[in-house]
Amino acid sequence: MQDPIQQSKRDFLKIFVGGGLFSLLGAIIYPIISYLKPPVQAEAEVKSVNAGKIASIALNSGQIVKFGAKPVILIRSPQGDLKAFSATCTHLSCTVQYKSDLGVIWCACHNGKYDLNGRNVSGPPPRPLDEYRVIVKGEDVLISKLA
Amino acid sequence: MKKIYYVLSLLLISLGAWTVMAAEDQCIACHTGLGDAPSTLFKKDIHQQKGVSCADCHGGDRTADDPDKAMSKDHGYKGVPKGNNIIKACINCHDNADKMKTFGSSLKTNQFKLFATSVHGGTSLDGAEWVAQCTTCHGAHGVSPVASPSSPVYPTNVIKTCSKCHSNPQYMKQYNPSLPVDQLEKYHTSMHGKLNAKGNTEVAECASCHGSHNIYKPSDARSTVYAIKLPATCSKCHSDAEKMKKYNIPTDQYEKYAGSVHGKALLEKHDVGAPACNDCHGNHGAMPPGIESISNVCGTCHALNADLFSSSPHKKAFDQRKYPECQTCHSNHAIVPATDALIGVSQGATCVKCHSPQESSKGYEAAKVMRHLLDTLSASEQSAAAIVEDALQKGMEVGEAKFKLRDVHQARLESRTMVHSFSVPKFQEVIDKGMKVSAEVSHEGQGALDEYRFRRYGLGVATGIITLLSLLVYLYIRRLEKK
Amino acid sequence: MKKIYDWFNERLQLEDLVHFLGKKYVPIHSHSVWYYFGGISVFLFIIQVSTGILLLLYYKAGEDQAFESILFIMSKVQFGWLIRSIHSWAANLFVLSAVIHMFSVYFEKAYRKPREMTWVTGMLMLFLLLGFGFSGYLLPWNELAFFATKVGTDIMGVIPVVGKPIMVLLRGGEEVTGATLTRFFGFHVAVLPGIFTVLISLHLIFVQRQGMSETEEFSNTPENEKGKMPFFPNFLLRDLLLWLLVLNILAILAVFFPWELGHKADAFASAPAGIRPEWYFMFMFQSLKLIPAKILFIDGELLGILSFGLAFALWLFVPFWDRKTAQGHRNRFLNYLGIFVIAFILLMTIYGWLS
Repeated sequence: MQDPIQQSKRDFLKIFVGGGLFSLLGAIIYPIISYLKPPVQAEAEVKSVNAGKIASIALNSGQIVKFGAKPVILIRSPQGDLKAFSATCTHLSCTVQYKSDLGVIWCACHNGKYDLNGRNVSGPPPRPLDEYRVIVKGEDVLISKLA
Repeated sequence: MKKIYYVLSLLLISLGAWTVMAAEDQCIACHTGLGDAPSTLFKKDIHQQKGVSCADCHGGDRTADDPDKAMSKDHGYKGVPKGNNIIKACINCHDNADKMKTFGSSLKTNQFKLFATSVHGGTSLDGAEWVAQCTTCHGAHGVSPVASPSSPVYPTNVIKTCSKCHSNPQYMKQYNPSLPVDQLEKYHTSMHGKLNAKGNTEVAECASCHGSHNIYKPSDARSTVYAIKLPATCSKCHSDAEKMKKYNIPTDQYEKYAGSVHGKALLEKHDVGAPACNDCHGNHGAMPPGIESISNVCGTCHALNADLFSSSPHKKAFDQRKYPECQTCHSNHAIVPATDALIGVSQGATCVKCHSPQESSKGYEAAKVMRHLLDTLSASEQSAAAIVEDALQKGMEVGEAKFKLRDVHQARLESRTMVHSFSVPKFQEVIDKGMKVSAEVSHEGQGALDEYRFRRYGLGVATGIITLLSLLVYLYIRRLEKK
Repeated sequence: MKKIYDWFNERLQLEDLVHFLGKKYVPIHSHSVWYYFGGISVFLFIIQVSTGILLLLYYKAGEDQAFESILFIMSKVQFGWLIRSIHSWAANLFVLSAVIHMFSVYFEKAYRKPREMTWVTGMLMLFLLLGFGFSGYLLPWNELAFFATKVGTDIMGVIPVVGKPIMVLLRGGEEVTGATLTRFFGFHVAVLPGIFTVLISLHLIFVQRQGMSETEEFSNTPENEKGKMPFFPNFLLRDLLLWLLVLNILAILAVFFPWELGHKADAFASAPAGIRPEWYFMFMFQSLKLIPAKILFIDGELLGILSFGLAFALWLFVPFWDRKTAQGHRNRFLNYLGIFVIAFILLMTIYGWLS
């Protein structure tokens, strides 16, 4: 017959080993579950972004939309057309903005100007801005890379 | 004695030849009698002197003394060549090196080939002929060699010849309504034009820059005035020390320009938006910009800087002292990318050229402060970027911070522009904006790095559990085996 | 617990299994410690399969996506850095433990009859493991991996007649390109695991059928003096203990020495300094570098590769030509050979790292 103390100690140990194994399981499963949760940015490379509801974009306005790590400028012309361009100035990589009074895309750093087709029309920019595709899907305005 | 015979016999031979030719060419004999303009002019024509007859261009029989016979279609009489037939008549010889040799001419024979690709080789309004013919510029019956002052394309004449069409708005708008017609007018105001008017045949005229037979639109990459090729075209003369000697102007502009920020952008990166010679000096009205107008010239592209400068205290000070505006600090042809070293009071800074601690110490102090602020922002940007990069390499999510880093970069560039206000408070405002964002970026990056370190605590917990468990398993085995 | 066990037992006769396990004994002797490396390898195999599957959820093979997707896993996916780091570290530990396992079996002569097949399947798995390492190394598509792969496949191309076609087959073209990446990806996640699973199953079945090998010494001791340990639960618990230890080491390595990503591969960039293969290829790489360019009309590199090929073949078939052990004698020659091989590998590896 076994010593009752021994008996209880063994049970004690057994419970602990069992408990330890469970917490280990937890320590393994927790990272895995977190890993499986889709991250905020669902893909390695951003292919398109949602720029918001079309109703919330005023006529004759521009806004900067984050496209992955790069800014994109979304412009709604006074006529209501939507256009999107890379917001990185081709001169020295400042972020451009829409000048509603002049109706041009303007870079504050050196007064570079682009027309609403992204063409560099005045100032130092050497190249036009890269254009992005704007898709209106129901209420939503989506911006995606040109294929 | 021998010599006299020799000369005499030569004279006789030439006289004989003359009489034979005169006797043979009935066209000129008859038309001289009529006293018409073509035959009068033709007597001075280089072609006549080389033995080309009327019939060579007009056809017909030069030996027949009966006009009806001489100018009959049966004898190949063509009358006055019209349209493209003019060129065809000319290139009969001028396109053929062998034929040209028989006249003792060493002229090139590629004129037509060049012409056919040129803008003047395009089709005319009626679509039936080329825009220009040889005769349009060279004349018809009184053709002289280009080097002869009587030639319409002689340097002092060519201005008028080209402007016959190019200064005629009525005519030009049929081809290109947007093409200016004021070239001649501008040319007269230029240094080139002024000297040309004085009979100087060396200075640039139309053909010097645009070429002659092979004239292309300036936007055509083949054109000698195409943006990328223009500096080389100007330097043909302006880098020629021999030629420029008597005008007492330097000849190192091209060299300096080619090494400048503009020259590199244009000549190396082929950014046709970058300024070439003409963008500052004008083209047809080429002149060095006046001292007060430099900031306007530079300001066509560098508008913000020019605006800021013009409303700064420097504007007045420079004007009074006749300092050329932008050039004083940035130089002209050799302009290099502006660095932060340009401002301040250290060696190589431009401010100390005028400002010293003794005289105008206010400016000296301002320069010192501005440089210090610029350096601070620059260092702050660098350290923020380093933190973000470090976090990124450690596999941390710092997209937002990296995105904001652009704003710091932007503020720094804006501050460099704001230097031209030469006002410390205005400058400080932009710098502060950059410093604020830079601090935010650093903070976020640091947060990511802290998070990275926190992972080790997480690991500590996991390792603790595992170690404890190992111990328990070990005890369990001991117990098991003790039995 | 009991109820669940009974439910299954009724249907699957678990008792038989428990009985079998209960009767399984592991010999205890001075070299018992080597028995554990097989278990560690199995554990690492399980880790590789599970982390590999997890990585597969986000990884994208392709020239313009591979690097970005790993970056994405490391920075955007929660615990992605941990999973990737563990996968990379476990791969290295796996090779290490498999090599130790192999040498222990070699020196114990555990490959002798009737375990020749166990040896051969084990050796084949070791080769596959090297294949896993080689193909997996390229998948992040970074600079180092790109050039290491280039050099590695170049070596393959030296072999006469078959070398060139094999190289082209591996690269999916004449050069290392995006096509190579998709190919290696295929090998790494489908072809190799498929074969490996079959081999590891055979290997484990053989071990279960034949029981643990005993050393000559142990076989010669009288039956009643033999120390034995029940496989279940004693040996298994010890295994568990070791696994926990390995897990701990892995976790520490993954957090304190996170596997770096490096810079994206650029086929047109010049090779960066310090291109070296994974450490387990280092001895081969270094020996090939040391062989003179020409040895008696034969290309030195070719000779080296062929010698390695021959050596591996001899090693693979050692149970079949080791007559002495089969006859029950001691084969000292093989022991010296083994020591020489280990010394050679160690020396070349260290030399390679230092140079």
